Parts: sequence; C-alpha cells; structure tokens
Amino acid sequence: MSGPPLIRVSGLSKRFGGLTAVEDLSFDVGHGEILAVIGPNGAGKTTTFNLITGMLTPTTGQIELDGQRIDGLPVHRIAALGMLRTFQHNMPFAGMSLTDNVMIGAHRRFSASVVDILLQRSHVLAEEKQTRARAAELIDFVGLGHHLHADVTTLSFGEGRLLEIARALAGDPRVILLDEPAAGLTASEVKRLSTLIRTIAANGVSVLLIEHDMHFLMPLAERIVVLNFGRKIGEGTSQEIAANTAVVEAYLGSSINQLGQGGAHA
Amino acid sequence: MEDFLELTVSATASGCIYALMALSYLIVLRPTSIINFAIGEWAATGAFVGVGVLTTLLWPRLDAPYPVAVAIVLVVLGLLGWAVERLTVRPLVKRGAPVTSPILALLGVLVIFRETLTLLFGADPFPSPPPLGYRRLEIGPFAGAPQQFFIIAVTLTIFAGVWYFFERTVWGRAFEAVAINRRAAALMGINLGRVTALAFAAGAAVAGMAGLLISPLTSAHYMMGLPLAIQGFTALVIGGVGRVEGALLGGLILAFAEQLGARYLPIPSGLTLAFPFSLLILFLLLRPTGLIAPREVR
Amino acid sequence: MIRTFIWIAAIIAASAIAFVLGGYATDVYRKMLIWIALALSYNFLFGTAGQVAFSHFAFAGVGAYGVVILSTKLGLPFGIAFIGAMALCALIAFIVAVPSTRLEGFYLALATLAFAQLFTVLINEGGDLTGGTGGIAGYSLPSIFGLQLRGPWYTVVLVLLVAGTLLLLNRLDNSSFGRACRAIRENPAVAAAMGINVRRTKVITFTLTSTLAGLAGIAYAYTDNVINPPVFGLENVFLLLFMIIVGGMGRPLGAVVGAILLYLAPFFLEPIVGHGYLVIFGILVVLAILYQPAGLAGLIDRGLGLLRPRSQS
Repeated sequence: MSGPPLIRVSGLSKRFGGLTAVEDLSFDVGHGEILAVIGPNGAGKTTTFNLITGMLTPTTGQIELDGQRIDGLPVHRIAALGMLRTFQHNMPFAGMSLTDNVMIGAHRRFSASVVDILLQRSHVLAEEKQTRARAAELIDFVGLGHHLHADVTTLSFGEGRLLEIARALAGDPRVILLDEPAAGLTASEVKRLSTLIRTIAANGVSVLLIEHDMHFLMPLAERIVVLNFGRKIGEGTSQEIAANTAVVEAYLGSSINQLGQGGAHA
Repeated sequence: MEDFLELTVSATASGCIYALMALSYLIVLRPTSIINFAIGEWAATGAFVGVGVLTTLLWPRLDAPYPVAVAIVLVVLGLLGWAVERLTVRPLVKRGAPVTSPILALLGVLVIFRETLTLLFGADPFPSPPPLGYRRLEIGPFAGAPQQFFIIAVTLTIFAGVWYFFERTVWGRAFEAVAINRRAAALMGINLGRVTALAFAAGAAVAGMAGLLISPLTSAHYMMGLPLAIQGFTALVIGGVGRVEGALLGGLILAFAEQLGARYLPIPSGLTLAFPFSLLILFLLLRPTGLIAPREVR
Repeated sequence: MIRTFIWIAAIIAASAIAFVLGGYATDVYRKMLIWIALALSYNFLFGTAGQVAFSHFAFAGVGAYGVVILSTKLGLPFGIAFIGAMALCALIAFIVAVPSTRLEGFYLALATLAFAQLFTVLINEGGDLTGGTGGIAGYSLPSIFGLQLRGPWYTVVLVLLVAGTLLLLNRLDNSSFGRACRAIRENPAVAAAMGINVRRTKVITFTLTSTLAGLAGIAYAYTDNVINPPVFGLENVFLLLFMIIVGGMGRPLGAVVGAILLYLAPFFLEPIVGHGYLVIFGILVVLAILYQPAGLAGLIDRGLGLLRPRSQS
C-alpha cells in the first residue's frame, strides 16, 4: 500500500447499553485495495460496516474518507461521498423494476434539482438516459441480463446478491462494502463473483468485504482484519493470516475452521 | 368548587371512555403494529347492539336486563372482531404485505360498518336506557349522573382485568412477547395467528363496551364512531402506546384538558373542539413515545 | 413529438366535451375533473411516495378559502390573491411536513389527520372571515386580462388543471426524484444508504402535492362560487384514498380511472341501492387490497397484455 489510505478508521467503539459491539478498532483501506473483515458470528463485523456507512453512530472514534471525517454525518451524505454498500440480507426495492433498482444506486450522480425536473431542463433527460444505459450495462456485467424484465421479488437468493452489487456499483463508488456477498451462491457464481470483485478493485475502487467462505476469500483479499468480540485480534496479508492460523486459532478456538467449512458447503 | 367537583366527575367519565378506546387500539397495536381505525365503528356497533337488546327496537318483546345486554355486546363484538381479522387481516399478514395494507383495509372495514349501521337504523339517534336510572347521584363531595359513576366503575374493572391479563397470565405474556419480537415469539412456539385473532376479538369487545357505556349519555348514532376513534388515539398518543396504564392516563388527561378548557378558557365554545387535535399534534411532535414509555426490550 | 400530439389531442377532446354538455352534466363533468386532479396529486403522495396523509382536502380548503378570503374579504386583485393562496398552501404544507415527516410510519397519518380536523374546526369557527358553517358564497371569478372565463370556458380551465397536474407529476415520476420517492416507500433505510436524503425528499413531496391540492381547491372555489366546510373534511379524504386503492396505487392511470369510477358510480348506484353504495365502496377497497393490490390499472395492463401478440419471455 502506497500513498495515504482512502479510509482510515481509528479508535472506533460502539456500545449498546451495557453491550460493547465494537471496541477500539483501527485499520486503513488503501485505494483499490481488497480488505476482508472476518471473525465468528457476533464479532461485530456488520456493526463495523454500519458504523462506517453511518447507519450507526460511533460511541467513540473517528472515520475518515480521503482525509475527511465522516463519522457523525447522516447516512445519505456518506453514501453521496461515494461509499456504497450491499446488505447481509437481500434488500431489493420490491415495487420497482430491476433497472430502477440499479438506478437508485446511481442517485448520488444525478445533478438535476426538483425545479430542473419540473421544468424539464435539457440535461435532465440526458442524465436519465445515460444512467439507464449504464444500469443496463451493469446488469449485464454482474450477469443478470436475462432477468431485465423480471419482478425483483422473484429473483433467487444468489441473483439477489448480484442485484445488490450492481446497485452499489451504479453509483460509481470510491469504496464498496460487501456484506457476505458469496453467501448462498453456487460454486460457479462464487467464481464469477471473485472475477467481478477483482475487476472492481482493478478500476481503483476500494473493496471492503465481510465473508465466511475462506476458499473464496483467501486468494481474493489482499489484507484481512480479524475481529472477535468486537476487538481486532489480527491483521495482515491473507498469507500472513493463513500462516498464523495457529495464533488465530488460539484466539478464536476452532471457529476459523468452522467458518471455512461453513462457507464451503453453503 | 362544587362546579369543579361536578366537572371532575364528568371529565373522569369521558376520560374513561377515551381510555377504553385507547385500550382497544393498544390491544391490537401491541402484538400486530396495526392501528385499527375501525374501532370507532365497533363502538357504535356496540351501542346499537346494546340499545337493540335493551329496548324493543329489534323485537317488540326483547327489553332484556342489562347484564344480558353486556354479555351479548361482548360476544357479538368479539365475534365481529375475530371475523374481521380472519377475513381481512390474516390473508395480508400471511402474504407478508407491508403493515399499511391491513391498516388501509381496516379503513374499508370502517366504512362498511358505518354505512351498514346507517342502512339498518337510519340517521336518527336512538336513546339508550341507563342501567342505574336517571336520578342524580352523590358520592361524598362528588355528584353527577349515575351513568357517569357507572362508566368509571366499569372502566376501572376492565382496566384491572386487562392489566392482570398482561402482567399475570401466560396468554398475556405471549402478547407481550409478540409485541417485543414477532419472530422470536414464533420460535418460542407462540401461535402468532391465534394471538392476532384474540387481539382483534378483545379489542372489538372493549370498543363495543365503550360504545354501550357512552350510549345513555349521547344516544346510539351512526356518526358516533369517528369522534370516538379520534379521541381514542389521541389518548393513546398522550399516554404512550407501550403500556395499559398509559391508555387510562391519556384518556383522563385528554378529557380534563377538554372540559377544563371549555369551562374556564375565554374562547368561543366551538373552538374547544380544536383542543384534542392541538394536543395530539403537540404530543406527536414533542413526545411521540407518550407519557409512559414502553418497557425496555429485555 | 407523437407524445406531444397525443397530449394536445387529449386536451382538445376533453375540452370539446365541455361544449357538448350542458346543465347538470356540466356540473358533474367539472366536479369529476377536480376529483381527477386531486386524485393525481394524492396518488403521488400516497401511492408513489407511500406517505399516508389525511390532509389533502384540508390543503384544497386552504387554497379555496385562501383565494376567496384574499380576493373578496381583503379586496386584493385576483392575480395576487391567487399567488397568495398558493404561497399559503406551500407554506402551511411545509410547516406541517417538516416535523411530521420525522415521525415514523403511520404517525404521519395521525398528525395529518389532526391537522385536517383542526382546519375544519377553524373554518367552522372563523366567524365573518370564513362564514362559519355556512361558508362563503356570492362571489365570482373576475375577468382575467379582460377574459371572462364562464360556462364551458371555465370547464376548459379545469381540463388544463388536470393536464398540468398530470404533466408535472409525470415529469417527477419519471425522474431520479420519483425513483427516490418509490425507494423510500419500499425501504427508507436502504434508500438512505444509496445516497437519498429521505427527509428532504419527503418534505418536498408533501409540500408539492399539497400545493397542487390547493390549486385544485382554488379551481373548485369558482366552480359553484360557494365554499363550505364539509367539502374539505375527512369524508372526502377517505373517498380519495379509496379512489387510489381501487384504481391502483402509484399509477397516474390508476388515479384517473379510480377517480372517474368512484365519482360516477353513485349516480348509477344510488337509484338502485340508495346510500348502500358506500358499503359497496368499502367492500371494493377491502377486495382490492386483498386480491388486486395493483388495482384497476393492473387489470388494464393485464387486459392489454392479452391483446398484444405474445413475445417469448
């Protein structure tokens, strides 16, 4: 990693009443880097994502995006800065077409105000047309092209995961946060997803990843942060983490192995 | 002072009616998150059923005694509430429709009930005979119509019963569990459908009782439902949607604010109608959780 | 180009009807146009944006009472009274929207219901200013730039009201803004995570559609040259809500079809079932929600789909 990081998380904590979900967590994410966050269930991975994207407010600590502090900003402002995410459970907008679902992800790129829209200023239609075309491209890119006219509620779980990714990509994100993108995918879909994520990162987009499937993760992630009970108990390249399995196991018990197996048959 | 004591009795009685309406909302709202605006019409139905049984309106020789009327109102309204849940709410819940769907369907139910009452009984009000007669009653320093004391006594009994149900019985615990977390309650083996059906039946019975109780003071009338529905949820918002005691407190606060305002504030009497709405807006904006906050999720 | 032509043809056709009709039929046609205009804006608020509000007729009332009071009681020129009434609608809608869109889910319905009831109380008790329960009558639309909009020409104004409302809302609907509204309706938290400013979008939607309701209210004020409180009460809001549910939520076509059907139905049903037609409306609403959530617009789609030659899918 060279140059200043795109995301810098320092001293991040989140307490719910007496329960500490995340404690004193710090890590950096570089431009175009693929960073994975792993750990057993309840380790605070999704909470960390929710904190970074502003869906939860940190109890203490700072989050910077490209040198700008974003902790405490409302969710939509953070998203508008180019931080887009997928959800652990598929969250399509049920009453909308597949294309409209993906176009919602591009919301931050629209410049037209309500007045522009009401007066139908020339750039409004151009913007709309452009975004629609790009949404169609993205739907093809993630491999949902043949479902263009399907009702989004009828998509399979795996297709729903791909829709989530396409939606987040539509906003030309600087960072994309993927919460268990491979869960529920078939082996060939997982393979496709790896290629997809590599392409995204190769285009300079930083990728933050929560995943249980180690076979998918290890070759993909450049660095890995290991969480347990809300604390960081390890960080390094995937080779280092793999090499230090013994050390990790001391902290995690057998959970890494369990995770690997859990992911393998999922 | 005498004036104030009399006002206290009448405000407490009105407050009790509002509290019963709020309770009817609450019983349905807690386990289902559904705001059931139709309960106003269920109160009106209760009033009409009561008048029908107590007088010769439906049948020349009916003239039933009061306890029989109470029992019939409770059973008929309970069945109606149960049927409405079965026919309109359950299919939507099963389908996983958003929570607004049953709420809107119940607005349709509201209109069906009101217009059916209009078709059956016309637009004229029907006087309802009070169980304790008309002679002015004095209890200590308090004086008022016997029906007002009767309303207070019955309401307190109902609230005590409902409170006992929620706090001390297994079924009541099941209601609370569903209110706190539907999914977890289902995993614990609580039958969600049965809880919902029971909530609607009980909510309708309570609303019907409110209608029966107030009918000697206002007569049974097809337009009585909506004001009761609105006063009921104003009381609910004031007291808070989480606790049974809140409904009672909210009802009393609303009634006292209304009647003290009408009596002592130097504004035209028509404008006092604006009181509950102003209060509702104020509470929604300043304290949407109501005065008595719901229990912490355990 | 073709679309513009269709628009103009439709406006001309709808206007031509005004010159054919007469007497009572004109009155029915005019009221129907106003219902359609109100249903269109309410559809955007409730059907597209998912905001269950009970204040739509109250805002029509703000427009109607606003313009009549400003022009007759305060003696302002009509143009200024018109702009003043619209501005009043927008301002009040904004004041109502800012705090109540903060409330979750159905609490918006409660807050707007309280506001609507408050408005009814105020116009009933407004004394000389609002004419109390009797309302205000005996005024008329002054000539505008020397034009006297009377008879069928006033009906043309109402056609233009519907066309304008439809045009504006269509533009919104087919834009990033309309998409954002629908996303918020489906899931506000996810919408926010996609960069949508949920509260701002809600406030703009509420203010805009309520102001359009005010515009329809102004048009209504000069239809009979009488305004009185019952028109702007809850009963009509319920009917409006039912029009959208039966017609098809979130679809302009549904709003138009629902408004026409439920407005005209009583004329045919009342001789047969008397007041019972309202029971039928209630049943229709329940049935629509249970079995046909896409409403009549959905049925029309299906019908057209059957007519069209089948493509492989």
